[in-house]
Amino acid sequence: MTTAVITTTRPAARTALGELGICLAVVAVVLLWMGPSLYRQDLVFLAATYALVALGMYLPFVLAGSLSMAYSAYAAIGAYAVAYLSVKQNLSPWWGWLAGMLVAGAVALVLAIATRKLSGFYLAAVTLLFAIAFEHWLGDATTITGGASGISGIPVPSLFGWDPPRYAQVVAAIGFVCAIAVMIDRLRRSAWGLSLSAARENAPAVQSTGISPTHLTVVALTVGAAIASTGGALFTVSVQAVTPETFGLDLVFLAIFMPIIGGRGSAWGAPLGALIVVGVTLNMPGYQGSGELLLAVVVLVILLLAPGGAIGWVHRILQRFTSSRNQNRR
Amino acid sequence: MSDPQLWLAAAEIGCFFALVALSIYLVVVGASFFNFAAGPYAMAAALLAGYAGAHWGVPILLGALLGIALAVGISLLTEIVVVRPVQRRSGGAELPALVAVTATLFAIQQLAGTILGRTPVSVANLVPVPDFRVSSVSVQGTTAIIIVVTVVVLLATVVWLRTTSTGQLLRAVGDNHEAARMIGVNVARVRLWAFGISGAVAGIAGIVFAAKSGAQFTSGLSWTLTGFLALVVGGTGKPWAPLIGGLALGWVQVFGSFYFGATGSSVAIFLVALVFFAFRPEGLFQRKVRV
Repeated sequence: MTTAVITTTRPAARTALGELGICLAVVAVVLLWMGPSLYRQDLVFLAATYALVALGMYLPFVLAGSLSMAYSAYAAIGAYAVAYLSVKQNLSPWWGWLAGMLVAGAVALVLAIATRKLSGFYLAAVTLLFAIAFEHWLGDATTITGGASGISGIPVPSLFGWDPPRYAQVVAAIGFVCAIAVMIDRLRRSAWGLSLSAARENAPAVQSTGISPTHLTVVALTVGAAIASTGGALFTVSVQAVTPETFGLDLVFLAIFMPIIGGRGSAWGAPLGALIVVGVTLNMPGYQGSGELLLAVVVLVILLLAPGGAIGWVHRILQRFTSSRNQNRR
Repeated sequence: MSDPQLWLAAAEIGCFFALVALSIYLVVVGASFFNFAAGPYAMAAALLAGYAGAHWGVPILLGALLGIALAVGISLLTEIVVVRPVQRRSGGAELPALVAVTATLFAIQQLAGTILGRTPVSVANLVPVPDFRVSSVSVQGTTAIIIVVTVVVLLATVVWLRTTSTGQLLRAVGDNHEAARMIGVNVARVRLWAFGISGAVAGIAGIVFAAKSGAQFTSGLSWTLTGFLALVVGGTGKPWAPLIGGLALGWVQVFGSFYFGATGSSVAIFLVALVFFAFRPEGLFQRKVRV
């Protein structure tokens, strides 16, 4: 959290320029990696979906320290909202994006208020049970969700009558993730974000300043759920179908790992972790599942040895480099 | 509600929940930490027992021993490699331990899936008891074994906790490990015992239940959740509280799915969790709080 103090004192224009630079660099690197490969385009879409779910979890999990594991349900709400409104009601998919955010936010709000006294293991267990029950319900509520076979043939959203080609969709998806990451990172450095992480460390101290820690956490969970639902909505652009198994519990585990792998010091750790997760699980030679095993082991090693994750690690190397340069100058 | 067959099914699955809850309970008492990896221990033990039977032709009793040894091994490894360093660095804070144990859970599942295969495995019954009838209720051999084994394991654990010095020290260590260390207790050793016995209980639970339900590398997560829930419902005050919690939860699961289907039962379990966590997180049987 020491970096937060330093960065808030930067002039606003420089911060905005820096963020723009990071975004452009991210888009450029991802596009370079993707090239013309259609398979890699799918992977980028998947990484963007993961990144949005992980960014949604960033506020409550990394900043507020409350691990809610219902995020597969929120992503599913986003995807099903788009599917239901566009396929069954013939509305524009954009209404689905909006409705998904509202519904996911509302569900998260109710769940957060019901579980406001819980933390740690209790919160994780009850939200995980909610996610399981929700997945069962998706398979049962055939009139809305299409049952076990789900909904297919979801149209790709158009932009004022212009149907963007696949490549433009990918670029837009990366841009969207970058925009959300910038927003969350700004939230992290804002007064609200600082009190959120202060409440994680010392709830009574925050309470004594007149801020309710419960209120902070509930808002963080609600906003996070709305963001995670856009991840589900984005996924329908790529696959154009959704089933109850599309967003399983594995997604939640991977989403917990992403900020840890990428680094918890900045919101950018979540999308970076998502890229690494997709790269390791789906783009690796070897048979199915070995990537997930590798991830779990990597997460344990990071937790035990390098709590800063990839970003923290790079940071440390840079710091060592600059400090040795400063010494040379002297 | 009056069908005795359903009550038997509830007792059977309740006994299994109780054993997993007992496994979690031992670590809660000794290390004040909910070991979410207990379900995966049970899963790994059952998978190895089934795998050994199918691929090496090992008789089930030997396979069960191998499975239990595996469960004890990974349980001890969890303590040495994960829990102890994480708790030491975070000063006993909850979130780092929770994240670490979640990663452990995931790692054990993926490791078991990679090594022992991703297809469901069937496990032979520990003792080949034929199915029999008690008046109008037909009892499967596996059901009888699950219930008998649960009673035996629970009794053995209670005796271990009450009569051996390690068992008696367990609570002292869990309550305040600094104070326990101060009076000369070998805290690390007592905790290793807790994790070891916990792993053995989980392994036994997995093997006897898998004879009924089969096992798959993903079973561990739901086993952990219901075991944890059974422990919360029962409370951590008494060593036999997990049995009460397990039976209550088994009852909800069986009657919920009988009357409302699979969705109904998972919703019912979620609601039980919500109600208990919110209103009575200390469970039905609590121990007196000393401040």
